[in-house]
Amino acid sequence: MQRDNIMNKTVRNLLVAALTLLPATVLADPTAQALAFTCAGCHGTDGSSVGPSSPSIAGMDPEVFVDAMQAYKADQRNATIMDRIAKGYTDEQIKGMSWFFAKQPLLLKPQKHDPDLAKLGADLHKEYCEKCHSDGGRESDSGILAGQWMPYLEYSMTDFVEGRRAYPRKMKRKVDAVLKEHGKKAQSALIHFYGSQQ
Amino acid sequence: MSKISLKYSTWFAFLLFIAVVFPLSATENGVATLLGEEIPHGFDPKTGKRIIPNERCLTCHGDEKQQTDVRDDGSPVKIFVHRKEIEASVHGEQSCNSCHVTIERVPHRKAPAVIVGCIDCHKETWDEYKNDLDGKHDRLKVVNEQIDSFMQSVHAQPSKLDQSQTNATCYDCHDAHNVGELGSIQRAEKRLKNPEVCGRCHEKELVAYKTSDHGKAVLEKGDSESAVCSDCHTTHDISSPESDKAKRAITKNCGDCHEDAQRTYFDSYHGQVHRLGYTNTAKCHDCHGGHEVKGADDPTSEIHANNRLENCKVCHTEANENFLTFWPHGDADDRENYPGLWFFKIFMQILIFSVMAFFWVHVMLWLYREVMDRIQGKGFIEDMDKPDIVYFRRFPLVWRWIHGLFAVSTMTLILTGTTLLFSHTSWAKAVVVFLGGVEMEGIIHRTAAVIWLGIFIAHLLIAISNIWRKRDEFKWFGSTSMLPNMKDARDLRDMFKWFFGKGPRPEFSHWTYWQKFDYWAPFWGAAVIGTSGIMLFMPEKTALFLPGWMFNIATLVHAEEALLAAIFLNSVHFFNVHFRPERFPMSTTIFTGAIPFEEFRHDHSEEYERLVASGEINNYLVRRPSRRADLAASFITSVLIMAGLALLTLVLIGLATSPN
Repeated sequence: MQRDNIMNKTVRNLLVAALTLLPATVLADPTAQALAFTCAGCHGTDGSSVGPSSPSIAGMDPEVFVDAMQAYKADQRNATIMDRIAKGYTDEQIKGMSWFFAKQPLLLKPQKHDPDLAKLGADLHKEYCEKCHSDGGRESDSGILAGQWMPYLEYSMTDFVEGRRAYPRKMKRKVDAVLKEHGKKAQSALIHFYGSQQ
Repeated sequence: MSKISLKYSTWFAFLLFIAVVFPLSATENGVATLLGEEIPHGFDPKTGKRIIPNERCLTCHGDEKQQTDVRDDGSPVKIFVHRKEIEASVHGEQSCNSCHVTIERVPHRKAPAVIVGCIDCHKETWDEYKNDLDGKHDRLKVVNEQIDSFMQSVHAQPSKLDQSQTNATCYDCHDAHNVGELGSIQRAEKRLKNPEVCGRCHEKELVAYKTSDHGKAVLEKGDSESAVCSDCHTTHDISSPESDKAKRAITKNCGDCHEDAQRTYFDSYHGQVHRLGYTNTAKCHDCHGGHEVKGADDPTSEIHANNRLENCKVCHTEANENFLTFWPHGDADDRENYPGLWFFKIFMQILIFSVMAFFWVHVMLWLYREVMDRIQGKGFIEDMDKPDIVYFRRFPLVWRWIHGLFAVSTMTLILTGTTLLFSHTSWAKAVVVFLGGVEMEGIIHRTAAVIWLGIFIAHLLIAISNIWRKRDEFKWFGSTSMLPNMKDARDLRDMFKWFFGKGPRPEFSHWTYWQKFDYWAPFWGAAVIGTSGIMLFMPEKTALFLPGWMFNIATLVHAEEALLAAIFLNSVHFFNVHFRPERFPMSTTIFTGAIPFEEFRHDHSEEYERLVASGEINNYLVRRPSRRADLAASFITSVLIMAGLALLTLVLIGLATSPN
């Protein structure tokens, strides 16, 4: 009988130890997909935005997504509300959402643009931007520009140019060069080019 | 077990199940998942790392129009890579970041650290495929051998200027984007570029090389047959040129192309010492120059007649003009260019072959006859019932000492001399190491030579004084004289008759004809070996009155005559004195000084009869040597015979394996 007691205590102690060690396992996180649903209000269903100033994040490169979220979280990127939202997620959750959005198809809506400006933008893109934003801005590893909402692009570029947002490596050199060579019009031209793409 | 513990156990199992099925992140079928999401396309499902297609890298690095970029600090950097070269190279199917492992994002978010490690990948790939039978990865075996050589080389050592770096690493020499397969155009081009690649660091050497015959052929005419840096210095197993290892490698590598020059160099004293593994004698580049090597006709060449003496003087500080007539590559087989040397070689070889042929036939026939006689119960057989008590005194103490010292010094000379002659053998290299190096060996050889010549001269003086003392009664051609006479010729004839069973064994006098030959042969040997040896002993003094080519002849005849002596003494002399059945296993007379009386009567019957007739015999009779003296003599004789046979074996190995 006493032996049974010792046995029971041993088993009980093991159980307590297991419960101590595995709380995170037991209280499992919501899935990345469930977390991503909360983004839909601004970024549209599954990340394809319908509003002009919130960017589409469907098909976004997961590492670019993580970079953006971590920068918001650390107050290193100019934000409206994303700095507050980003702080609510763990690193794991941000990474999980990045995987989710990376797999979503980007559904674009036609945007009103100036074809002449877009044509100039196409040339400027080829000369100054194409190496990083390859495939006419469709390449995702440095952020998809093709088809992105034009107002959002406008805000973002202005943030860069006016020093509110840190340039990625080498980008400043290119932006400075294109603005120096072609003036303020270059920014609009590029945005019209990206906005013209479907 | 109670019901309570069973309940606990069930809970425990359930919790474990939960832990296994719902982790925060895990892999399912080897695919990484996170919060219910599988890893997206474009990332390695196993490692989670981004897959960067080469095409994406080539967007920037393959742009011919923008081959340079600027670093963050504004400095220019070449970023261009030939797409076609990569695709054609052995690494064509590799992804860029399988070598450039620090590149994880494109475009580069941070200034990329160019860190490439070639070794692990080549080792791991070889380990993985070395047992494959398709042979596709066979070349990796060589690559890994080269890696091992490189790791031991001076290039893999930390740089003295910056110890965080090696002196050179793989991609300092290999253009990894353009490594061609064996036989490819890339490899042919790489060979011609070799001087330029090495010259990036070794600038002075490249300047000198450009002026050389090799450099002109390679760099100006594109002749890939001519020597590039790695032909002499090796590709990976590179040592400091000051090291013995590098010097040996360079000499060997010169010979890979200049075969005749190397063969004849190895025939010279310079080359013999070098082939033993020592570098203190002249090597190819000591005379010809290294990077600036040119033909003898070029006035700027180190071997031009006007410049050559300076090179001799580096070692032979007192070298005079006569050194210029030395043939550093004298070829005794080249009758046209070196008729004198050729003549001496032919002469010495005829001498060796005729002497050895005659005496080996003599030995074989003698052996045959004595064996046949013994089978028939004839010849000298020890009478066990009447053991010898009386001995005949044959050698006074001074001759016994002289023979002993002569034997030891001769064997020392053979051992030390043949290491040079047979420097190609591993035994020669081991002997030199054992003796303490080639310089110590030289000292031993010359010391033994001085002792040998000293004994020879001392013996002459004793012999002359002996004759002078007995000048009134000394008979020049008498029975105790060493001078050859007609009886010796008759004895030789009769000996052959006896060999063939056509006559009785000749009745010999005090000295037999073969003993006289053994006595007189060293006179010839002393003249040839001694004279040539003294010339080689003191080259600068010799050159005061003899032309340089005399060193070639001296080296040749010294070696050939010594070879004859070594083979003759350790085979024919041993047989005549020790190994013929009547004497086997040995005669100790030369050390005890006494020969058993019955044996003397048998071997020298004519002398015995003469001494008995004249009544002088009693003057020579002595008691048998003491048991201790007998044992001592047997011991010394045994040691010398064993040493002699060992030397004979080494000499025969040397001859049998001689590359020439």
